[in-house]
Amino acid sequence: MTHDDDRLPDALRNAARDYNTPPPLAPADLDDMWSVIESRAFADSQRTPDRAYWATIRRVLPIAAVLLVGVAIGRFSAGSGASPTVPTARVASSDSSMLQEPYQSTTSRYLGQTAALLAALPAEVRAGAADDALHGRAHDLLLTTRMLLDSPAASDPRISTLLDDLELVLAQIVRLQTDDGRSELELIRQALEQRDVLPRLRTAVANISADD
Amino acid sequence: MTSPAVAIEAQPYVNREPELIARVVAGDRLAARELYDAHAPRVFRLAYRLTGDDELAREFTQETFIRAFAQLGRFRGDSALSTWLHRVTASVVSNAMRKVKRFRARETDLDEAGLVHAPGSGGDHDLRDKLHRAIDELPEIYRTTLVMHDVEGYTHEEIAKVLGVAEGTCKSRLSVARAQLRKKLASFAKEWME
Repeated sequence: MTHDDDRLPDALRNAARDYNTPPPLAPADLDDMWSVIESRAFADSQRTPDRAYWATIRRVLPIAAVLLVGVAIGRFSAGSGASPTVPTARVASSDSSMLQEPYQSTTSRYLGQTAALLAALPAEVRAGAADDALHGRAHDLLLTTRMLLDSPAASDPRISTLLDDLELVLAQIVRLQTDDGRSELELIRQALEQRDVLPRLRTAVANISADD
Repeated sequence: MTSPAVAIEAQPYVNREPELIARVVAGDRLAARELYDAHAPRVFRLAYRLTGDDELAREFTQETFIRAFAQLGRFRGDSALSTWLHRVTASVVSNAMRKVKRFRARETDLDEAGLVHAPGSGGDHDLRDKLHRAIDELPEIYRTTLVMHDVEGYTHEEIAKVLGVAEGTCKSRLSVARAQLRKKLASFAKEWME
């Protein structure tokens, strides 16, 4: 006898079809189940929400990095072009755009490093999580940011504003290391959106370009 | 018999499924919802057939998708997504029902003797009840195979993929399940043979 030959008699086969007959699922039933699935699969797990949040960060941070490079180039090429031969003579200048050479060099290097970090961040998070080296760089840059905020480099309101915003973003990146990342990622996202960081950076670039 | 259960979806969705899977892996909730909408009714149906309990079927459907979304990055497309999801469903149901049955066994005095020896009334309703109880009491591997094949209409190939066994094993299990049903329902033999 083959396996198909041992079929149940018709009466049994018909009766079997009624075994545990599922009730119809209404759209509301599907929605109810989805709300549970979504809350557990996305909100409570680290992987999914992190990726979602990082997707937002990945979209905006490269733009910020490019703008930072623009700010740095525009800001300091203007300064260098104005006095290529006697930079130290501008120490006592009342023009806030003219920085002492040590601060100019430090600020230029700082902006370049910060731009590089923000540009690298998306790749870091795509790999799974920002690593210790990145956090270390963010921490160092945060210290530099605070130092520059208290230095003559911050006498230019445009640079000062930029430093304020970068301090916030860098502080949040540093704090990512100390918890599960979700809340901090949300803060970064909110900071970028609510504090209009990108529009203000664009404005800064535009202003500096106008000065040039 | 119902139509084959696995790997039959509307064309537009099938074309988009690989993209949706990639988006879910990247954390896209909207894509996840779209996959859910496409597969949840069938997953629920299978869960309900295997549990006979609306609340449990909903719970297992949810668990299936939670687990599936967490593991979707490992899905290589060797089988249809629906097959893979049903495999997760069968696993979720099987593991959970062991606990449920242990719990119920402590609370319920199952009258197994009554199943075989109770005098049959001869009515269709009585036959159906006895059959359903007999299916309930089949060992899990046989019951799952019988339900998927004789009740839900999966093919042996589909069942083999879902359960991760050879087709021959699947056929053998079905044969054993049917034989056990015949034995348990021997008192009704005259009715269905006539």
